[in-house]
Amino acid sequence: MAVAGQRVLGWGGRAIALCRGLRTGPPRLQDVAGAAAKETEKQSATEQSPPILQRNSMRWDGKVYEEVPIAHIKATYNNTHIQVVGFDNQPFSRTSCGTEGFQNAKRGTAVAAQAAAVAAAVKARAKGVLHVRVIVKGLGPGRKAAIRGLTMGGLEVISITDNSPVPHNGCRPRKVRRV
Amino acid sequence: MASHLRFVGRTVMVQNGNVDAAYGVLNRILAQDGVAEAVRRSRYYEKPWRARRRRAFEACRRVYSAEMARRIAFLARSSRQDPWLGC
Repeated sequence: MAVAGQRVLGWGGRAIALCRGLRTGPPRLQDVAGAAAKETEKQSATEQSPPILQRNSMRWDGKVYEEVPIAHIKATYNNTHIQVVGFDNQPFSRTSCGTEGFQNAKRGTAVAAQAAAVAAAVKARAKGVLHVRVIVKGLGPGRKAAIRGLTMGGLEVISITDNSPVPHNGCRPRKVRRV
Repeated sequence: MASHLRFVGRTVMVQNGNVDAAYGVLNRILAQDGVAEAVRRSRYYEKPWRARRRRAFEACRRVYSAEMARRIAFLARSSRQDPWLGC
C-alpha cells in the first residue's frame, strides 16, 4: 500500500526484503530493520561474532516506542475529536470541538481543533502523560491545528501516523453535492 | 488499515521536536503516493462515466507534461560539446 520504502543501494539483495518502513531518518521502528543496519555495519567492520539482533535503543521516559501513549485525532470536515489513550487502550482524556463550547459551523475550524487539542493535552498531562504518538484520521480543517495544539498543551509528539480510511472500493459514498 | 501492522506504514518520526517539518514530510509522502487524493475522491461517489473521463484526461495530461518537460530540458541545455569544433 502506501508504505514508504527506501532505495537500498549497496546493501545487496538480502536486505531489500527487510527494508520497508519510514522515510525519515535514523530511528527505525522495527527491530528487523535495525538489525539489518547493524548487521551490515558489523560485517563491514569485520567483527568476529555472527550478526546479533540488537534492540532499537530509543527511549522516551524509559518507555519503548510500543508503550508510549497514543493520541487519536479524527479530523472530519465538521468537527475534530481527540482522544489520548495508553498503549493498552487505557483512556486518559477525550475532547472534541463540541466539548469545548463551539457550536455547529464553528466546530469545523482549525481554531476550535487547536482549543480542543490544548484541553486534551492539559488533561492528559495531569494524568502523567508526557510523550505521545499521534494518529490522524481524516482530511479536515483541524488536522494540522490539532497536532499543534497538543504541542502547545504540553505533550511532546514523537511520531505522526496517518490512518485515514481509504476504501479499496468498499462502501458506496453519498452522492455528489450540487450547490 | 486495521488488518495491517500499526505504526509501520504512513508513519513519520519527529526529529528534534520539529513537528511541523514532520507533518510536512508526511503530507508529501501522502501526496506522492496518491493517498490524499484517494481519500478526497472517496468523499462523494464518482459515477463510472466521470471516472472514465477523468482517467483518460489524466493519461493525456501525463503524456503532455512529460513531452513538454522534455522539450524544455532540450531547449534549456547549456553545457554541451561544441558541434562546430575546428571549423
